[in-house]
Amino acid sequence: MDLPMILNISMLLTLATLLTPLLSPLLVKNYKNSPSTIMQTVKTSFLISLIPMTLFIYLGMENITYFWEWKLATNFKIPLNFKMDQYSLMFFPIALFVTWSILQFTTWYMASEPQITKFFLFLLTFLIAMLTLTIANNMFLLFIGWEGVGIMSFLLIGWWHGRAEANTAALQAVLYNRIGDIGFILCMAWSATTINSWDIQQLSPLNQTPLLPLIGLILAATGKSAQFGLHPWLPAAMEGPTPVSALLHSSTMVVAGIFLLIRTHPMLHSNPTALTLCLCLGALSTLFAATCALTQNDIKKIIAFSTSSQLGLMMVTIGLDLPQLAFLHISTHAFFKAMLFLCSGSIIHNLNGEQDIRKMGGLQKTLPTTTSCLTIGNLALMGTPFLAGFYSKDLIIESMNTSYLNTWALSLTLLATSFTATYSIRMSLLVQTGFTRTTPTILINENNPAITNPITRLALGSITAGLLITTYILPTKTPPMTMPTTTKTTAIIITLLGILLALELSKMTHTLIKPKQNPLLNFSSTLGYFNPLTHRLSSTQLLTTGQKIASHLIDLSWYKKMGPEGLATLQLKAAKISTTLHTGLIKTYLMSFALSILIILISSTQ
Amino acid sequence: MTFLHLSFYSAFTLSSLGLAFHRIHLISALLCLESMMLSMYMALSTWPAQTQTTSPSLTPILMLTFSACEAGIGLAILVASSRTHGSDHLHNLNLLQC
Repeated sequence: MDLPMILNISMLLTLATLLTPLLSPLLVKNYKNSPSTIMQTVKTSFLISLIPMTLFIYLGMENITYFWEWKLATNFKIPLNFKMDQYSLMFFPIALFVTWSILQFTTWYMASEPQITKFFLFLLTFLIAMLTLTIANNMFLLFIGWEGVGIMSFLLIGWWHGRAEANTAALQAVLYNRIGDIGFILCMAWSATTINSWDIQQLSPLNQTPLLPLIGLILAATGKSAQFGLHPWLPAAMEGPTPVSALLHSSTMVVAGIFLLIRTHPMLHSNPTALTLCLCLGALSTLFAATCALTQNDIKKIIAFSTSSQLGLMMVTIGLDLPQLAFLHISTHAFFKAMLFLCSGSIIHNLNGEQDIRKMGGLQKTLPTTTSCLTIGNLALMGTPFLAGFYSKDLIIESMNTSYLNTWALSLTLLATSFTATYSIRMSLLVQTGFTRTTPTILINENNPAITNPITRLALGSITAGLLITTYILPTKTPPMTMPTTTKTTAIIITLLGILLALELSKMTHTLIKPKQNPLLNFSSTLGYFNPLTHRLSSTQLLTTGQKIASHLIDLSWYKKMGPEGLATLQLKAAKISTTLHTGLIKTYLMSFALSILIILISSTQ
Repeated sequence: MTFLHLSFYSAFTLSSLGLAFHRIHLISALLCLESMMLSMYMALSTWPAQTQTTSPSLTPILMLTFSACEAGIGLAILVASSRTHGSDHLHNLNLLQC
């Protein structure tokens, strides 16, 4: 039994299985894809991907494969290079499991969509691009996957392209991702000119990596993973259908930026400035997103900001020099976030398109499975002990508390953790409990196995994934084992405080007090005034600068005012003044003659 | 400067001012021109006498010749003007006025 060969073959078979629905219409005559076949394909792929994962867990087997080489120049070759290490071998089954559940859910959610097969094919293409990104060993292949997920995100967010907000949101996603791509290309250019290769392994032996490529990588992660500064596209991306939000904008695409930083971690390890930058940026993103989520009323936007906040937390983990822990958080986060989105999709469809939580309530009795899983997801998100989120989130908070770092970053992250609890409980309370605030003319029915099976499967994952992953994969760095009791229980204490705050605030909503406007409420509900400020300011400034330079400076100024026309104007002015004197009468001429002689005489004697 | 020079300069200056500021009659301008010529003649005549050089003795005669021509032309203009317009008023010479 040649086990390395089995590892290789099974990984490549996973990818090949995913390609079959895309290639079969070209190869087989009269072949028609259908949503259920695509879902079965992904399920098969998931089952196949369990084999390499098992080989890794039991034997620690990792692999790098070189295929064909693209000989770009004589000394610069770009091979097709797959790296099957801990990260890609663990990510494949998780991503495929989540995608399988989402596709099963989509067969119910988008059942009335006339182009449902095309939607499934888009989702499949996205998945292939994401897996390419994960398994890539050189930056070129990673970039192919990177751009692939960006484009599929654009196509999928703007799926209902008749809606103007969907088009704007898709455009926003592409533009912000593009700004991040500039950072990626900067890093690629630097490594091509300095190391003459795009292999990620060749970047690690450097003792002290200069700051420039790391800034490029951090910019790329900021763009793709919606850190503060390039974040507005993630809440806007909720314009896409719920399966898109569940797959792209919670589990897979947005973690691509963090994944890039995990892959290139040896470069970051030696540069403390870059690590501090990651730390502070992550802390700021997590707090900002958590603050914005507190006053949102759209259920999908709350979950989107929750994703943004967790991405900030992952960035903080990278800043703590703990890439494995960040990857653990990515894995556990995928389960409960996808489940939260699927639950929200079920709620939205069952309430006939209602997305405002102020118009939901009392759903615990009518949608029992969905709301139970919503509760499980929220508890996992908050880091309830021994659910999935606990294993990653609690470890992150413990590591933060016991390491020598910026106190501001620490306090921001702790505040964001308590806000996470607050908005999760607020969402649960408003959606599930209390009296019904929906219209009475809806038909609520969640008895379709296409809804309940994916959600319960993901719930199972949310409960057990943390335990399973930490049991089977040993950490490369020893986690901190000894700390004071207060430090150990910090995460739980602040989560409980957040829950108490939410419960207290929900009591306020039952009394009929008119809500007053105050600056903090305005800040939170307008998402920190970021969107109008940057979107309007930057474009108007760019356009006015362009107008000033092109039109005013060059055309008007040089060619008109200071060039030929200016000369003509000058001459005209002089001519106009002297015309009144040139009357043609001798008297005036002689008078000016005498005057000039006088002036000459006076000036010559002095 | 000496009293002699003062007389020359003052005569010339007053005549040139008179030429510049004549108002009604052309003939007053011509008279001023004549007086300018006269003062220049006297200056040119006393110059070789003062500096005891004999070479420039010819210059007053030359100047007289030219001034005679110029006076003749001036009088011709006067006569032409009085023949066409009936008087020598200066406001008749307005062909170049814009």
